[in-house]
Order: sequence, then structure tokens, then C-alpha cells
Amino acid sequence: MIYAEHLRKEFQKIVKEPGLKGSFKALFKPKKETVVAADDISFHVPEGEILGFIGPNGAGKSTVIKMLTGILTPTSGECRINGKIPQNDRKNYVKEIGAVFGQRTQLWWDLPLQETYLVLKEIYEVNDEKFKKRMDFLNEVLELESFIKSPVRTLSLGQRMRADIAASMLHSPKVLFLDEPTIGLDVVVKDNIRQAIMKINKEEKTTVILTTHDISDIELLCDRIVMIDKGKNVYDGSLHELRENFGQTRELIFETANSSNITEEQFRNGLDLGGNDLVIESDKNNFKVKFNSRKLPVGEMLSYTLSLTKVKDISVKDADIEEIIRNLYRHGGESDE
Amino acid sequence: MNKLMRRYVPFAKAGVQSLIIYRLNFIGFVVGGLIYCFVMFYLWRAVFDSNGGGAFLGFSMTDMVVYLFLSNTTSQLIFSDVSNDIGQEIRDGSIVMRLLKPVNTDLSYMFAELGAIVMKLVVLLIPMIVGLEIYRFCTAGVVMFNIVNFLLYLLSAVLAYIISFRVNLCFGFIAFYVKNLWGIGILKNSIIGFLSGSLIPLAFMPDGLRICLEYLPFASMSYTPVMIYMGKYGVYEIIFRIGLQILWAVLLYGLSKLIWFGAIKKLCVQGG
Repeated sequence: MIYAEHLRKEFQKIVKEPGLKGSFKALFKPKKETVVAADDISFHVPEGEILGFIGPNGAGKSTVIKMLTGILTPTSGECRINGKIPQNDRKNYVKEIGAVFGQRTQLWWDLPLQETYLVLKEIYEVNDEKFKKRMDFLNEVLELESFIKSPVRTLSLGQRMRADIAASMLHSPKVLFLDEPTIGLDVVVKDNIRQAIMKINKEEKTTVILTTHDISDIELLCDRIVMIDKGKNVYDGSLHELRENFGQTRELIFETANSSNITEEQFRNGLDLGGNDLVIESDKNNFKVKFNSRKLPVGEMLSYTLSLTKVKDISVKDADIEEIIRNLYRHGGESDE
Repeated sequence: MNKLMRRYVPFAKAGVQSLIIYRLNFIGFVVGGLIYCFVMFYLWRAVFDSNGGGAFLGFSMTDMVVYLFLSNTTSQLIFSDVSNDIGQEIRDGSIVMRLLKPVNTDLSYMFAELGAIVMKLVVLLIPMIVGLEIYRFCTAGVVMFNIVNFLLYLLSAVLAYIISFRVNLCFGFIAFYVKNLWGIGILKNSIIGFLSGSLIPLAFMPDGLRICLEYLPFASMSYTPVMIYMGKYGVYEIIFRIGLQILWAVLLYGLSKLIWFGAIKKLCVQGG
């Protein structure tokens, strides 16, 4: 469905030296620098998959999405979506896709929300019957009813975001690009939006590419993730595999009568774990042990802790995906170079 | 054709809507233009008075009044702000959303303005024509309104709009290269103001300069329709002038397309 082959995008940037003198210099003799926003990005998404496309801020996610949607022309490399090269025939290509950029809106700013949908209906040539069915569906999942008659500029962020998602789904696109659709939203709205994505993916086999910084979006929605950093592919695989391969960190939380006598020293001396392999956080009655389960089996850690102090309760947390990604962000780029 | 209209009419409607919502802006635009007209009127009256009150280079004072007010109204009517819109959209990156729609970019901009133009036609041009004709009747004592000239004026004004739109589109696409259009916008407005004859009638300029300017697209933007309305041109001259407008419209269409295809490859979206 979606093929990205060695996508590369360079920008020219004018470098300004600091201060007034630097400004003058930049005005008359600008020094140009080439910035590589995406470098040799390749991946493939089969039909009906929800792909989580993640990476830290400034990794080049949006640049890649903009190339896939046909807005930007790659410096080299090629993408092919549904057999089409987006840059070749933009007008026809965009009929088949829907897109949401979390920081922008495609709604008509000054018109009541309803009008935007009527405009989109004409632009995408959706017939009356289909339109009605679609609006009913979107109304139900995204709860647009209460603000559909208000001008878009008066909507709250959560309302606007739901409205934007609805707008991108109105014409039953084959591919949906969602660039941070849950940015800055509360739990209820996030849930609405996730429901909508899930339903549309299930019922219509819509292929979805989703970028987000919210890990629960990925856990709930994505079959597979592609991670990039500094413009390069860092990881491509399922979430499960990621956990297996990189999720060596385990977290044990102990509840005790008094944990003030627990120190990191005790653990370090007794267990032979290095600086990065062990973290202890403690407050009055609880303490948390994060450690590398490859260096030390969970069982041993448990029995050692029980020998130190009297424990009331224990909880074990699974490898935290956020932690894994944080590790990958930190190390991924470096190991590539 | 029907499908085409249905797809683009919403853009026109949205244009009218925002005109109504920001009506103070529109009123300011109109009133500002009128004040400017009166300033020019008193200036030119001083010129005519010092000349003994008679005709000046083929213009009577009545002609001058009609010229001033009508050329101002015409340039407001055909005013295109699309270069500004494009500049703005490039600066804040919202051009992305326009590119994601399966519509022709040029036409979507054009229809957004057409809505406003229809409004201006009703609330600006028609009252102005009526007012000017009453004024002419009072000073000359006979009805001078000529329906043929008026219709030809409308035709010429439509062409003038297309030229103005395309010139603006070309300027707007420059934003893809320079990222911020503000300075270039000021340059553009002063060039057009002078070269189109809305500041000083081209007829008053030295012959060599006048002939050059009359062939440029800028003269086609308000000078040509106004001169046609005033009956300053004979039949052949009218045909020639309108032909020239069509030629410029076609040339500028080509030029804007050319710039567009170069520019779209250059696009880099600022801020996420």
C-alpha cells in the first residue's frame, strides 16, 4: 500500500551569526547550510495496517509525512502510495488520502463547522446518501453534535481536533495520515479519537500512519512501529519485538512499614550492578527498584530485597514502552553512526 | 462545468462570509479609498484652476472627477490580495492544508476573491456609477451615460481582474523562495500604483513613457476600462486595447504556471 524508498530531503538554511553584526553579514552575504531533515528513510506499510511513526521532536517525522502526502518533493528517493507517486499528480492523489496535522486545521476558520463539511462534500464529490451516513457515524463516535453549528474559531482545542479528524475521514480515504492527532488533548477526547481511528480501520481497512508522542496511542492502536531519529530509520518492527529486544528494564515496587533505611548502596554492594543497571527511588513507605533484568533475574532481585527488609506488598511492572523508547532515542542515533 | 462550479462556489461563499464577518475592515478599505479620491480631487482642482479652469490635455474638470473616482473604484473592484494570502500561508505553513485538497490551487484562490468582488460590485461600483452620472448631469445638463461603454467597461474590468490576479499570483509564488513577502508587497503596490495610471492618468505623462506604459499589463488594470467608460477610445482603439488585455492575461497565466512548477519543488514548510 505504502512504499517509501530511500527518501531524502534537504533544506537550505541561512546561518546567522549572533548580534547586530551577524545580522548585517547575513543580509549581504548569507552563509548557507544544508540541513538534512530525512536521510535514507525506507519502509513499507501493507493495506489495513496502523503504523506508529515515532521519534523525538525534530527527528523528521513531519517532513516524511509531508513527502508521503505529496506536499514536499523529496530531494532523492521515491514514495509510492496505492500505486501512485504523490508528487506526479497531486490533485488526483489527494482524493484518496486524508490527513490531519495536529498543529494546523483544515476547517474553514470563519464558517460554522457544518459548512466546512458541506464544502468538503462538494470538493470530494461525496453523494448525499453517503454523506448522511458518514456524518451520522462521525457524530456518533466523535460527538460533534453540540458544536456543529458554531464557527470554527470559537471551538476549543478538543472540539477542533475532533472536528478535524472527522473532516479527514469524511470522504472515506484509503490512507489516513495523522500527525500528532492527540496533541494537547484530555483523556476523554483522546479516547474519542482513538475509537474513531480504530473503527474506521476495522470497518474500511483504512491504512493509517500515525505520529504521536503519546505512548498509549501506540499501545492501543498500532500493529507496528517505525522509529526515526535525526532523519534516519532507527527501528522497524512490532511493539512486541521491541519489548523483547530492548525491554530489559523491570520495575519492582515494594510497600513496607518503613523504607527510610533502604539505600542504593545496599543494593549496589550486595548485587554487583553497575551505574545504569540499577535505579532506586524511595519515599516514606514505598520504594521502587528499576533494574536490568538481563544482568539479574527478577527472582534473585526479589529474594535479595526480601532479605533486607520486611515487605507488605509487591507489584511488578512490565517493561515500560516509554522507557524503551527513551533508551532508543538516547542510544539509537549514536549506534547508527 | 456544473461540477466545477459546485466545487469552487464554496470558496466564493467563504470569501463573502469573511467579508461580512470582518466588515469593518471592508468599510475601512472603501472609506480610505474615498478619502484618497477627495484628496486627489482637490489637488487636481488646484491644477485646473491655475490653468484658467479650461480643459487640460483633453481632460475637462468633469472628466477628471470621473477619472479619479472611477479609476479608484475600479482598482478597488479588481483588487487582488492573493499575493498577500499566499505569503501569509507560506509564512505560517498553512499552505499545507490547501495543497491537501483535490482542487486547483489557482482557482481556489480566485473563487475566494470572486465572492468579495460580487459584493464590491453591488455596494461600491453601482452606487459610484450612479453618483458620477448624477454629477455629470448636473455639470453638463445632459445625460452622458452610455450603456455600450458601460458594458465594454465591465468586460474590460473582468480582464483587468484576471491580469491583476495573475500578477499577484506571480508575486505570491515568489514567497516560496524568499519566505516573507512584506517588503516585496510594498514594492509591488507602489509599482502598480504608478504604472497603472491610478496615481496620474497616463495621458498626462510624456509621450515616450506613456506609450511604453500603455503596453505594459499594469495599464490594463484600471486605465483601460476607465478610458473605455469615459468614451476616450474609438472603436478600433477599444478592440486593440481589449485584445492587448487578453494577450497579457494569457501571457501572465503562462508565467504564473511556470513559476508555480518551479516553486512547488522549493517549498519547505516552516514550523512543523
